Amino acid sequence: MLTLLVFILLTLVAGYFHLTNGVFDMSVMDVIKTLLRIDPDPKFDLVIFQFRLPRIIIASLVGIGLGMAGTVIQGITRNGLADPGILGINAGAGAAIVAFMFFFQMSGVTFFKESWFSILAMPLFGFVGGLAAVVIIFIFSWRNGALDMQRLILTGIAISSGFGALSLYISLKMNASDYEMAAVWSVGSIYSANWTYIIMIAPWVLILGFVMYRKSYLLNYFQLEDSSTKSLGISVEKEKLIFLLCSVGIISVCVSVSGSISFIGLMAPHIARRLVGINHRYIMLSSAVVGMFLLVISDYFAKTIFQPAELPVGIVVSIIGIPYFLYLLAKSRV
Amino acid sequence: MNKMNTKNWKVILILSTSPLFIVLAIVVSVLYGVKDIGILTIWQAITHFDANNVDHNIIMTSRFPRVIAALLVGAALSVSGALMQGVTRNYLASPSIMGVNDGSAFVITLAMVFYPGLSNVQMIILSMVGSAIGAGLVFGFGSLVKNGLSPVRLAIIGTVIGTFLSSIASAVAMFFQVSQNVSVWYSSKIHTVNPDMLILSIPFIIVGLLLAVSISKSVMVASLGDETAISLGQRTKWVKIVSIISVICLTGTAVALVGKIAFVGLIIPHITRFIVGIDYRFIIPCSAVIGAVFLALCDVLSRYINFPFETPIGVVTAFIGIPFFLYLIRVKGGEQRG
Repeated sequence: MLTLLVFILLTLVAGYFHLTNGVFDMSVMDVIKTLLRIDPDPKFDLVIFQFRLPRIIIASLVGIGLGMAGTVIQGITRNGLADPGILGINAGAGAAIVAFMFFFQMSGVTFFKESWFSILAMPLFGFVGGLAAVVIIFIFSWRNGALDMQRLILTGIAISSGFGALSLYISLKMNASDYEMAAVWSVGSIYSANWTYIIMIAPWVLILGFVMYRKSYLLNYFQLEDSSTKSLGISVEKEKLIFLLCSVGIISVCVSVSGSISFIGLMAPHIARRLVGINHRYIMLSSAVVGMFLLVISDYFAKTIFQPAELPVGIVVSIIGIPYFLYLLAKSRV
Repeated sequence: MNKMNTKNWKVILILSTSPLFIVLAIVVSVLYGVKDIGILTIWQAITHFDANNVDHNIIMTSRFPRVIAALLVGAALSVSGALMQGVTRNYLASPSIMGVNDGSAFVITLAMVFYPGLSNVQMIILSMVGSAIGAGLVFGFGSLVKNGLSPVRLAIIGTVIGTFLSSIASAVAMFFQVSQNVSVWYSSKIHTVNPDMLILSIPFIIVGLLLAVSISKSVMVASLGDETAISLGQRTKWVKIVSIISVICLTGTAVALVGKIAFVGLIIPHITRFIVGIDYRFIIPCSAVIGAVFLALCDVLSRYINFPFETPIGVVTAFIGIPFFLYLIRVKGGEQRG
């Protein structure tokens, strides 16, 4: 509980920095005044409500989603190095979304702002792509009735670059404005956050997150041999499938707003496990808040380090996440 | 012995028909594209070059350098892949997977940011330095980690370190706002190859190929395993050093010339091994030929996939290479290749 509070607090602090700093600095009082609607200044209103606040909220939601999905993926594959990004689920969802942009949204101008159809349909498309990636991963890394851990990662790497090539190919067929949008989006960035995106992803993250949290106790049993889990009366395959569908769903919505962001789903569960031990009920929640914190702070760095130029947050996360991955790899006895 | 003879026969067939195939690849590549050009025009362009003729210009300044670059790069990447696979006895070893490509691109990015206006020679040399850095990091980390040199693990380490290098490179490029220039390096740019650079890179690639051929016998011994090699009186360290130099020469030049092209160095050696057997004295020259023709054909294909627009050749090689890569993982799993 304490950990949760600490991380929520940390996220708020990061959010605070995020709000006050930027191309346009403002003081604490300005922010508080604007938020509490005490003689609001339209200039601050614009910056806070149209640019910074949506961005922070999106970063938090995506962080929560990726953190939880990472916990689930690591739990059901029993592989501490698994991450939705590394396994290519992000890339699969991404390719499907690029295809969606290509087929349904030929003009970049009306994108998102007008059409509710696209807002609702885009994550669904992503879901199909993510699922395709999962199926391919399973086909190629299933051996002797179990998932081979190393092959899992390698297959993931392969399908990431495969779907990456596919996305590149599709995006090259697009017209210039769509291409621009797809290119910015695909590196993993939260530049263009707005309230419509938030409305689009919040319900998914909350509902699927809730389902995963309610079922998270099952992940503890999955760490045992499948046969012993079955003897406890748990239908392993069915539950794993539900978990997998939920996590692919949550990843797809995250990818559809922020592009592919790897390594959050890797780091958050590990940090959470360090903090709260091995019970997945706690890990799940802590991983969500840790993921939230990591992404908000990374997005803050992405925004400010190279001011006024911005980095895609995906790059910041990779630069932090890869050394961590290598460290885990060095430590693991796989 | 009999089996060996049939393999030899195939080697002779491949090597003796290779000029034919290479000429054929050049002709096809020059003939077809957004603007189809007649075979007679090619002949005229070679014999009586007319600077005012558009077709002649296309042939001499674009199509011809392009196909030569594809042939050279295809040969270079395939041979360095074959060397790496032989010496490390790792069936997943290849320049793009082991971070060599990314190392080159990383150093070139830094150079473009901090020392803009590099000459072509400097570019090639820096690219080689980058290859060495990338390979050094990957193999260094691989040997620090327990079991880190096993094929699958080394591939994971290589890819991840490669991603790391290219993330830093793109961050730096964005900061200094040269990402547009740099992204030219990231995506393979065989269709805009620089003719001066091409001429410069030929000696480097030839040196690399000669080195590779000269140690091919030792590579074959090395591919049998360190213990066997030592007991046969081979100085294994020497073989490793020469092959590293050759790989760096070949891959560094290839990246400086056309950017990162993945999977060629992985799949061509396997295909070659499948055709000519496990003897690296044959694998190395044959994979040079097969790789050259393969990449030239991929280049032709890349003009038609999204006609009339060019598709980056890396996309083509990825579409061909990834299924192959998955097949290798599926069939061979994690074991070291003997």
